[in-house]
Amino acid sequence: MRKTWLLGILMLLGLGFAQAQQANLKACFIYVGPIGDVGWTFAHDEARRAAEKAIPGLTTQYVESVKPADTMATIDRLVSGGCNVIFTTSFDFMDQTLEAAKKYPEVIFAHASGFKRAPNMLTYMADFYQIYYLNGLMAGALTKSGKVGYVAAFPIPELKRHISAFALGVRAVNPRATVNVKWINAWFDPVKAREAAEALMAEGNDILAFTEDTATVIQTAARRKVPSFSHYNSMYKYAPDYVVSGQLVDWSVIYIDILKKVQNGTYTSKNLQNVDYWWLAREKAVMLGAQVGMPINPKFEAALKRATMTVNGKRVSVYDRVMELYKDIQSASPKWDPFTGPIRDRNGVLRVPAGRKMTVKELNEMQWVAPGVVGQVADEPK
Amino acid sequence: MLNALARALSFGTPLLLACLGAILNERAGVVNLGVEGMMALGALAGFAVAFGSGVGDGNLWLAVLAALGAGTLAAFLHAFVTITLQANQFVSGLALTMLGLGSAGLLGKRFEGQPLFNQPPEWPFTLGAIGLAVLLGLVFYATKLGLSLRSVGENPAAADLLGINVSAVRYGAVAVGGALAGLAGAYLSLVYRPSWTDGMTAGLGWIAVALVIFVGWSPLRAIFGAVFFGLLYYLQFRLQGQSPIPSEVFASLPYLLVILVLALSGLRGQQGNAPEALGRPYRRGER
Repeated sequence: MRKTWLLGILMLLGLGFAQAQQANLKACFIYVGPIGDVGWTFAHDEARRAAEKAIPGLTTQYVESVKPADTMATIDRLVSGGCNVIFTTSFDFMDQTLEAAKKYPEVIFAHASGFKRAPNMLTYMADFYQIYYLNGLMAGALTKSGKVGYVAAFPIPELKRHISAFALGVRAVNPRATVNVKWINAWFDPVKAREAAEALMAEGNDILAFTEDTATVIQTAARRKVPSFSHYNSMYKYAPDYVVSGQLVDWSVIYIDILKKVQNGTYTSKNLQNVDYWWLAREKAVMLGAQVGMPINPKFEAALKRATMTVNGKRVSVYDRVMELYKDIQSASPKWDPFTGPIRDRNGVLRVPAGRKMTVKELNEMQWVAPGVVGQVADEPK
Repeated sequence: MLNALARALSFGTPLLLACLGAILNERAGVVNLGVEGMMALGALAGFAVAFGSGVGDGNLWLAVLAALGAGTLAAFLHAFVTITLQANQFVSGLALTMLGLGSAGLLGKRFEGQPLFNQPPEWPFTLGAIGLAVLLGLVFYATKLGLSLRSVGENPAAADLLGINVSAVRYGAVAVGGALAGLAGAYLSLVYRPSWTDGMTAGLGWIAVALVIFVGWSPLRAIFGAVFFGLLYYLQFRLQGQSPIPSEVFASLPYLLVILVLALSGLRGQQGNAPEALGRPYRRGER
């Protein structure tokens, strides 16, 4: 009898403890842009809300439009407000996040798109490079002028990787086509994005893709009846006749995975040194599409089925090739990767030897760009 | 070339509108650094009405009217604080920018990411802005109202002696200036980029403020100033990768030019035509 009492009390205590731990899980998010940017930050915030719904006992808080220089001050404020998991969602937040991880050893930090880790700081990324190749195939099939335009944010490895994968795709269909890049040196600047897109179209580019956090490029392209590719979110609604496809992200699978593992004790503030999420289509962190559930805009299906390309000596339709590769990268063990050698950079230097795939580390530190990319590219190795 | 000019006009239109508003303010002796905030409010008000007033983008004119109203209302706040309460104009203007950007962002949350499906053409706005510049020039130099306005900005005490109601003239100038900033914002959210996102004014209001000094407080020169800035802005992308000069040089050119002009006007000792009483509250009986 006494034993059952004791057990009961212990169970109650245990339950209480578990509940307290759950109630204590407060995840805080630091965003670089406004949550309404329709792009990067919007996608993170959608995922934050999804995680809050999916995980009982989780509370969240966010701070938007944080300047990189204010990272530490923002973290100080969040920690004193009771945050025990902090997500910093911009590459520029990396160094200060690492500093904060040292300053607050009990708090768990997670940094998106970076490469520096600590016992209490993990890194995570949902990456588009495979999806970009598929979009490149479509752009290569649809361009009439052989000039594909790209409005780019910053010349950092992430963008070089994406632009290069895109260019490899374009050239797999149309070996003489070029991807013409204009840098705007901003993540969020619709005014610059618009003028860069206008300049690209004035130079004869008849398809546009981009990395900027608004739908500006899509709207600008549609105004001149130029097809474009959606970036980050469903942008189909902005130009239903002109958005061909695009790259979509779902950060919630990553956030929910991390937070559940924190909650059940798998992740602690001592064992994150080697935790790096590099989630792709296989993990459902990224998708191909003009919007969720629409990998390719039906309006472009016929044209993509008509267009053909050579794969291993055989002519196949670009549409079939896109679908085949997309199916492969979604499978449990993908066989294909766009950065499989031999690959030379645009200066002719062999970067990936035949038969080898680029590693995640190499992809993260990539400074060269693929053949077909035209325009000035900062920090490019000679 | 024609394309570059078209882009310069398109990009220059909001700059011109906002700049004309600021010129009007400053000619009456009131500095308003709240242009960016008023633009954001105008952009939101315009978009909200266009989006809310019916399926498939309701009434464009109603939307423009709402933007004018939002800009005017925000400007009245600045007028009250600086003219009636005689507070520091620079501080009030900065506060207005922050208030405008912040509240537009907050109130605009539900419109984020909603596109307008009907994209009005840009040229009527551009022509309208140029027409307004000419009209403003005429008002300044060919009407009694313009004379009163300028005298209030140059020497409010003298104007007061002549029986001009300094406060009323300044209130009017600030209000119309706000309306023009609101219109500049509406151009962005209805025409230039038909959708609303927080922060979409992207510093254009500040360029407009700088442009006022660049064009020496002249509405007619503002046309050329705005087009010139627009051209530089467009060329930084158009020439990128087409010339050995790094794009950053083009990107900084407008700002370098402003500094150059300021420095030159400073050397000439004219303060670049600035109205004498600019930035100073007028108190009757004080010197």
